[in-house]
Amino acid sequence: MIMEADVAIIGSGPAGLTAAIHAHRSGARKVLLLEREEELGGILKQCIHNGFGLEQFKQDYTGPEYAERLIKELEETDVQCFLNTLVTDLSSDRVITALSPEHGALEIKAKSIILAMGCRERTRSSIGIPGTRPAGIFTAGVAQRFVNIDGYLPGKEIVILGSGDIGLIMARRLKLEGASVIGVYEIMNYPGGLKRNIVQCLNDFNIPLYLSHTVTEIRGKERVEGVIISKVDSDLNPVEGSEQSIKCDTLLLSVGLMPENELSKKAGIELSASTGGPVTTEILETSVPGIFTCGNVSTVFDLVDYVAQTGTVAGTYASRYASGHVSGSGQFVDILTGENVRLLFPQRYSFQDDLVLFIRAADPVEKPVTIEVAPLGSRINRPYARPNEMLRLKIPKGKLAEAKQSIKVSIREK
Amino acid sequence: MAAEKKHFVCVVCPIGCEIDVVHDGSKIISMAGNKCEKSEEFVIRELIEPMRILTTTVRIQGSRWPVIPVRTDKPIPKQLFPRIMRQLRGINLQAPVNMLDVVVKDVVGTGANIIATRTMPRG
Repeated sequence: MIMEADVAIIGSGPAGLTAAIHAHRSGARKVLLLEREEELGGILKQCIHNGFGLEQFKQDYTGPEYAERLIKELEETDVQCFLNTLVTDLSSDRVITALSPEHGALEIKAKSIILAMGCRERTRSSIGIPGTRPAGIFTAGVAQRFVNIDGYLPGKEIVILGSGDIGLIMARRLKLEGASVIGVYEIMNYPGGLKRNIVQCLNDFNIPLYLSHTVTEIRGKERVEGVIISKVDSDLNPVEGSEQSIKCDTLLLSVGLMPENELSKKAGIELSASTGGPVTTEILETSVPGIFTCGNVSTVFDLVDYVAQTGTVAGTYASRYASGHVSGSGQFVDILTGENVRLLFPQRYSFQDDLVLFIRAADPVEKPVTIEVAPLGSRINRPYARPNEMLRLKIPKGKLAEAKQSIKVSIREK
Repeated sequence: MAAEKKHFVCVVCPIGCEIDVVHDGSKIISMAGNKCEKSEEFVIRELIEPMRILTTTVRIQGSRWPVIPVRTDKPIPKQLFPRIMRQLRGINLQAPVNMLDVVVKDVVGTGANIIATRTMPRG
């Protein structure tokens, strides 16, 4: 089937849902939302813990409640949703190829497209743990799906490698369900997840967190029988003689997320080496005209509120693009990472809107810091900078008019 | 009760101050490490009775998925979590269920209800 659309959105998690609602509200007539699963909502459906929407809705929702609120808003629009629909190809002239049991092979020509595919978890092979290859090794998100949607426990004696938020949330969840959670081991000397998750998921349940430790071997033939834990030195190399053997039947990995950009690559979209997502401007347009990006496919955000914020921007501008209102002259300046900045989003400024910058620090600074935006002379103070908590700042359009060359962002101790 | 030392991480805001408290079980004798006064109220509540929202799942029949997510509709004493989890193990709902439907009223006498956090249609 060949179809046409004003705006087509790939993925119906918080980013895609918000983008669809805002594309509709901004006047796009034919908006198509494509979802590969059987239900809308993306990963929110399995995030049954609370803490969602505190900023956006001033409510303490669980993931499914947050999703359902957005889905209800979407149902008041005439956005068309295609479920069970897997996008297999995307071209730079904005043609989507997709497969669906209901509609068969689909070719969708869209005036503008929004990428909202989210991210993937890093796996054992991404971090290269030596040892055998038994059953019982899961990424934290897969275990979360098993427990919260499919209704079964992945194991009884659990070791968690990595202190990302999903790992911390799963430590609590598995303990509540009666599993023994032996400990969370983190290779870095600071935790990966938010501080309140350390408190409410680990401290509340007496689950120990070991910093500067990693798994150096997995043991077991059919099923995991144990792991070897080692301390690491300041270069993250295992310290000889520090090995400790721990008996367990399950190893969960919470070792980072990566934007999912297989489709973006097919469309020839330029990707950022630091975020792993498309290089974008402040209106969230990628390097391919008419293709926009939002949510965790762009860069991995800490909070769903940030994801939704990008969905709003992408939905609004994709709708404007579809109706021919493109104000951009193609002119832009680069936004560059300076001192103690690991990544920035967006990476370009095109003089069309205020600049909302998301910044991740490279190293933790537990002292007051100044975020310096050169050459604008903007200096914003924050009480600290931590790699596990994105910094966000807004620079009004008026202030940016004078940016002639590149903009450079640095985090310095005050 | 004799004076006791306790360590807290304040979760009122994202700063997460590490606070050392000397207390007598219900009153703060001294505290150090907090950057603002909001921590005081947090520490007192934690000393008297730590309260949390419990989120979990219960069994359901006649729907696409075998479990449905639920939570308490207000914070409850943290120490009651294991008891409530045991009680919820015996529950088996029948689809359809609407979001915010009450699954258990006044769970273990807390005054809080267990409510569904998603709509689960039949099928």
